[in-house]
Amino acid sequence: MMNLIPFPCGIRIRLIRWSVGPWPLARPLTHFRKPANGHTGQPTNLHAVLKAACICLALVSLAACSEPPAREVVFAVGGAPAELDFWETLADDFEKESGIPLRILRRPADTDQQRQSLVISLKAQMSDPDVFLMDIAWIGLFSAAEWLMPLEDIDTAPFFKTVIEKVDRPAGQLLALPVYMDAGILYYRKDLLDAYGGESAPRTWSALAETARRIQPAERKTNGDFYGFVWTGAQYEGLVTAFMEFAGTRGGFVVEDGQIRLNVPANVRAMRFMRDLIRKFKITPPNAYTGMKEEDVRMYFQRGDALYERNWPYAWPLHQSRDSAVRDKTGVSPIPAPEAGQSASTLGGFHIGVSRFTDVKAEALQFVKFVTSYNNQKRMVMQLGWNPGRQDLYDDPDILKQAPHFKALGEVFRSARPRPLVPYYTQISAIAQQHINSVLAGNAAPQEALAAADREIRAVLSRYAIENGSK
Amino acid sequence: MSEENFKKILLALGIALTALFCLGPFAYMMLTAFSRYPDFLLPDQPYSATLENFRIIVFSESVHFLEYLRNSIVISAVSSVVAVGLASPAAYAIARLPLPGKAAILFGTLGVSMFPPISLISYLFKLMSALNWINTYMALILPYVAWTMPISLWILVSYFSQVPRELDQSARIDGAGRLQILIKIILPVSAPGVYSTALLAFIFAFNEFIFALMLTIDASARTIPVGIALFEGLHGQIPWGQIMAAAAVASLPVVLATLVFQRRIVQGLTRGAVKE
Amino acid sequence: MDLNSNRKTKLAARTGLDRIADILQIERESLTAFMFLVPLFVFLAVLIFIPVLGTFWDSLTRDVAFLPKKFIGTANYRALIADAAFWQSVRFTLLFVFVSVPLEVLMGLAIALVLNETFPGRGFLRAAVLIPWAIPAAVSGRVFELIYHYSYGAANYLVRILDLSEGPVNWLGTDLGSFAGVVLADAWKTTPFAALILLAGLSSINPDLYKQAQIDRANFLQRFLYVTIPLLKPVLVVTLLFRTVMALRVFDVIYVLTGGGPGGATTPLSLFAYRYFSSADFGYGAAASVLLFVCALLLSVLYVKAGRFQESLQ
Repeated sequence: MMNLIPFPCGIRIRLIRWSVGPWPLARPLTHFRKPANGHTGQPTNLHAVLKAACICLALVSLAACSEPPAREVVFAVGGAPAELDFWETLADDFEKESGIPLRILRRPADTDQQRQSLVISLKAQMSDPDVFLMDIAWIGLFSAAEWLMPLEDIDTAPFFKTVIEKVDRPAGQLLALPVYMDAGILYYRKDLLDAYGGESAPRTWSALAETARRIQPAERKTNGDFYGFVWTGAQYEGLVTAFMEFAGTRGGFVVEDGQIRLNVPANVRAMRFMRDLIRKFKITPPNAYTGMKEEDVRMYFQRGDALYERNWPYAWPLHQSRDSAVRDKTGVSPIPAPEAGQSASTLGGFHIGVSRFTDVKAEALQFVKFVTSYNNQKRMVMQLGWNPGRQDLYDDPDILKQAPHFKALGEVFRSARPRPLVPYYTQISAIAQQHINSVLAGNAAPQEALAAADREIRAVLSRYAIENGSK
Repeated sequence: MSEENFKKILLALGIALTALFCLGPFAYMMLTAFSRYPDFLLPDQPYSATLENFRIIVFSESVHFLEYLRNSIVISAVSSVVAVGLASPAAYAIARLPLPGKAAILFGTLGVSMFPPISLISYLFKLMSALNWINTYMALILPYVAWTMPISLWILVSYFSQVPRELDQSARIDGAGRLQILIKIILPVSAPGVYSTALLAFIFAFNEFIFALMLTIDASARTIPVGIALFEGLHGQIPWGQIMAAAAVASLPVVLATLVFQRRIVQGLTRGAVKE
Repeated sequence: MDLNSNRKTKLAARTGLDRIADILQIERESLTAFMFLVPLFVFLAVLIFIPVLGTFWDSLTRDVAFLPKKFIGTANYRALIADAAFWQSVRFTLLFVFVSVPLEVLMGLAIALVLNETFPGRGFLRAAVLIPWAIPAAVSGRVFELIYHYSYGAANYLVRILDLSEGPVNWLGTDLGSFAGVVLADAWKTTPFAALILLAGLSSINPDLYKQAQIDRANFLQRFLYVTIPLLKPVLVVTLLFRTVMALRVFDVIYVLTGGGPGGATTPLSLFAYRYFSSADFGYGAAASVLLFVCALLLSVLYVKAGRFQESLQ
C-alpha cells in the first residue's frame, strides 16, 4: 500500500493498538457472528446505509426548510439608519391599516451595495424582495433587463411630470414611482460666516475655496480637527454625483452623437479643483477619497468640524436635531457654480418598483400606493427632510412652516441634472469612479485619467452594441 | 557573546515578536469590543469598558447577528458531517481496496481544490437560481461539501492507511461487508483523524466568504463573515465597537474549537497538508 | 460452527452486485471501491467541474442583464486584453503574489524555528499562532480596517507615539500604503498556516544530524544553512507553491479592507471579475475569471508535480 506518511509507522500502530483496547475489536467480531440463520452481511450493510442516509437527509432537509408566511410583502430598502427606522414605522402602519404582513430587508447605506444585492436577487429571478427602492441611476438597467413589473392602476397626475416621463415610463409602461427626489445642496455654518466677515453663501466654487482657506486656520486654533469643506469622495456613486456638481452644466457626462464623453475642459478643471481641495489647499480631510460617504460627511459637519458640506437634503433634519452641535447654525444654499457654466445640482432620488418575479402582486401594488400617498409622503418630508416626488406637496402649509427653504429648493431641484439614463450606466459610473478617485489619490493627472476613462467607456459601448442593428 | 547566549536572546526575541504579531490585532479587536468609544487610542480619550456593544449586537433584531451565527453554525456543521461522511468511504476505498489510478484520483482531487472559487461562482449561481435555492442553506452546504472533500480525502486516507490490516482481515473472515468494516472498525479506530477532518471542514465552511456573498441575500441564509463584512450598525458612522464585538463573538466558536483541538488540527493539517 | 455456516452462506449467495461485477469482468472488490468513490465524484463533478465548464462557456457569450444572450466567441477576451483596468488588476495580482508569498513563508519559517525549540509556554504560543488562522478572513479584514483607521486606528497611534510622521498617515489612501496594508493583513491571516507546515517539516529532521554537525564544529548559522535548509527544501517548495496558488485567488480581505481602491490600485483579478458579476455582466466577468483559472491551473499542476516529487523522495 502507498505509504503517505513521513512519520514512523511502527509507533502509530502501537499507539492505535493501545488506544483501541479490547472493546471496539471485540464488538464487531461478536456482532458479525449474529446472523446464524443463513443471511449474509449484505442486508445489514444495506440497513446501515439506509440508516445513515436517513440521518443525512433529515439533517439536510432540516437545514433547507424554512417556509415564510404566505402572502407577505418583502420590501428591500437601504439608507441611513434614521431613514431605515422611519421605514420600520411606516411598515407597522401599513400592516395595521391593510392587514397585509410586511417584512423589511435592511440594506446598507451605500447605494452600490444596495444595487449589488438587488441585482443578485433579480438575476436569480427570486420572488423576494417583492418591492424595493431603486436609485434613479439604476432604473435604466432594471427596466432594460425587464426586472420591473408594470404598475397598474396608478394615477400619475400628482407627480413631477418630467420625471415620470423621462425616468419611470421608458417604453410607455409605468415601471416605477418617485418616492423622493434628491438634489445636491450646500450646507454652511451661518454663525462662522457671520463671525468672520458677514459673507453670504458662496455662489462659485472659487469663492467657496477662498472663504474656506481664510476661515480654516483661524478655526484650527480652537478646533484642531476643523476642515473647510467636506464632501463625498470615496470610490462609489456619491463621488460621481459630487463630481458632476463641481463640473457644472458644461461638464459631467457629455452626450454627443450617441457617445458619452468625459474628457472635456470643464471636467478637467473640476477634477483639478477637487484634487487641490485635498492636496493643495488642504481644506478637505485627506481621507476624503478613501472613506467619506454621505453619513461620514454628515457626521463631520454635525460635530461642528466643518464649514461647508455638500450633501443631500436628508441631512437637514438631522443637523437640526437636539443633539446636533450645529443646530440652528446651519444654512442651506444651492450648489455653487464653476467658473464657466452654471451651477448644476445632480438629480438623485429613489424610486419604488415591484419585482417582475413577485408572488404577491396585488399586495405589492397596494404597498406602492401606500408609500406614495399624500399623507405618507408628507411624513417623509416632515421627518426625513426628503423632497417628495409628488408635486402637490410643495404647497403644503405645514411643510413650508417647518422648512422654509423648501420652496426655493423646489426650484433647484427642478433644474437638477440627471445622470445618463442608459442601461449600462452602472458600468460607466464604475469607470468614472475609478479614474476620478485615482486623480484624488494623486495617482493620475486629470487629463490622462479622463482620456483613459473615455477609452474604457468606448470599449464598454462597443462590447454591448455589437452590431447595433441586430440586438 | 557565546553561541548559547546568542541563541537564547534570539529565541526570546522570536517568541516576543511571534506573540506580538499573532496576538496584537486580536487583542486590539477585543479591547475595542469592550470599549465604549472606539477612539480610545486618541490622546485625551480614556478607556471605559462596557458590555454595551455586545448587548446591542445580541439583542438588536435589526442587526440580525444571532441569525447569522445560527446560519453559520448550522451550515458549517452539516457541511462538515456530510463531507466527512462522503469522504470516508472514498478514503477507505483508496486505502484498502484494489482500484486503478489511485494516485491520479488523489492528486486529481487535490488539483480540483485549487480552482479559484470566482471561476465557478457565476455558473454555480445560475445553477442554484435554476433550482430556486439561492438564499437557502442548500446553496451553501453543497458547494462547501464539494470544496472540503479533497482535503478530507487526503487526511482520511493518511489515517486509514495507518489502521492495521489485521483488523480488516479478521472482520472479513467473520463475514463483514466492506461498509460495515468501515463504520464499525476503521472509523472508531481512526477517530482522531475523523475528528480532525470534521473540524477542519467546519472551520473552512465557517470562514468561507465569497460563496456566501454571492449565493445568499439576507439574514435567512447569510453567514457570519458576510454579515460582519457588510455590518453597518444602527447609528451614523461605522460602529467599530459593535463590529469588533460581533467579530469577537463570531470568532469565538472557531477560536475555541482551535484551542481545544489544536493538537488534532495541527496533526490533521500536517498530515494532509505536508503534501500541500 | 457459526463461523463455518457464515462463510458457506457468504460464498453461496451471489447478489446483484456480484453479477454486475462478473458482467464488467472486474473484481467484486473493485466494484465496491468504485461505489464508495461515486459520491465524491458526483459532488466534484456537479459542483466544481460543471460550473467551471459553464463559466468557460459563459465567457464566450455576451451575457448582460439588459441584452439578449448571444454567442460572441472570443470577443470578451479581446476586450479584456485591450482593457487597461484589466492589466492594472493583473499587475496588482502578480505583485501581490510575489511579495506576500515569500514574506509569509519567511515569517512562517521564523515562527516555525521558534516553535521548534523547547521553552516554557510553548504550547500556549502554538495555540496563539493558530488564532489568526482561525478567524474568518473577512473579520480580520475589518480588524485591519480599524487598525488603519485614519483618525484613531492603532497604526496611526503607533505613528503618533513613535513620532514617525507629522500628522496621521492615510494608510489606505496611497498606492504604497494600501498595498502594504493589504499584504500585511493577508500575511497575518496566512502566516500561521505556513508556520505549521514548516514546523512539521522541521520536526521531522533527525536531531542526530544537528549533533553530528556540532561535532563537526559547525556554528549556529552554518547548521541552519547546511542542515536545516536543504532538508527542508521539499517542504519549502511545496509550501511556496501552495501559498502561491492560494494567494492568486485572494478576495475576502481586500474586498473588506480597501474594496479595490484607491482608484482601483488594489483590485485583484477575483475582485475585478466580481465587480462585473454584480453589475449583471456575467460574460465579461466570466472571461476574467477563466483567465485567472488558467493561471491557477498551471500553478497547481506544478504544485501537484512537486508534491509527487516530494513523495517519491521519501
